[in-house]
Amino acid sequence: MPTTTNYGWTTPADTDLVKDGASAIRTLGTAIDTTTKNLNPETTLGDIAYRSSTANVKTRLGLGTAGQVLTVNSGATAPEWATPSSGGMTLLSTTTLSGASTTISSISGSYKSLIAYIYNVNQGSDGDFMIDPNNSTNLTDSITNYGENGTSYALARSGNRIRTPGNVSSGNTSNAWTLILDNYASSTSFKPFNFYGYYEYTPNSIKACMHAGGNFRSTTAISSLVFKPSTGSFSGGTVLLYGVN
Amino acid sequence: MTKPIIRIHNIENDEIIDREMTAAEFKIYEANQAAQAEAQAEAEAKEAARQAILDRLGLTADEAKLLLG
Repeated sequence: MPTTTNYGWTTPADTDLVKDGASAIRTLGTAIDTTTKNLNPETTLGDIAYRSSTANVKTRLGLGTAGQVLTVNSGATAPEWATPSSGGMTLLSTTTLSGASTTISSISGSYKSLIAYIYNVNQGSDGDFMIDPNNSTNLTDSITNYGENGTSYALARSGNRIRTPGNVSSGNTSNAWTLILDNYASSTSFKPFNFYGYYEYTPNSIKACMHAGGNFRSTTAISSLVFKPSTGSFSGGTVLLYGVN
Repeated sequence: MTKPIIRIHNIENDEIIDREMTAAEFKIYEANQAAQAEAQAEAEAKEAARQAILDRLGLTADEAKLLLG
């Protein structure tokens, strides 16, 4: 029996008898019907079809839900509808600074970055404000630019900790900083950071603006942050810790 | 002797503990305090020396910066 080139439908041969024509047409029609259905498995408005592992047989993919996007499944074998992952900030904790140090521990490693908003910090004694990831000291490389608000000068200071470049005046409550730690959950690479803000500097209550950037020189994932004044204890202050994706 | 109080906020269960430093923590704390005091004294001595030079030359800090810039 001859067959068609593309789909292999059986057709009558030139020498077949006329009395077998109905049967031949029926066979051909059934084959066309089957193939057509295999190539068009959609049943519902919005369905789409994609090639299956079998030639000339497509698989139906039903319409997704509102907001979903077409993506490839985890096995990289087929398309699927999925809700796009949304970026954004998740508030992980609100912590009041107290004591000679305040540790935020058990930080989830499920985010790409950490952002800490640190405000209304009140130190009981004049001293630096410091943040030690994983309570590790001397594992940070940084350079800090700072100067007094409203003046033209700016100074730079290098350091081995995340800290203010000078003493924060005791009793002042307008001190505020932001810390951004990127790639903090990595166990294979160092973690860059940004630490910037404002504080009242001890000599003459200078209003100091500062911006420090650097690197936490450790491949250990950061799971805690220790906030501490270089001397004395905190009299107040709040840390809002966010996970960012 | 009473040791300084520290706070630990476990954000997994939102548990906050305020407690005295342990002996080991206190030892590190004291070492840090000593280092801080030393650094502070060093910075103050440097600043005093710088100011003394400026006074001797009769220059302000901004004028000195202009000269060196």
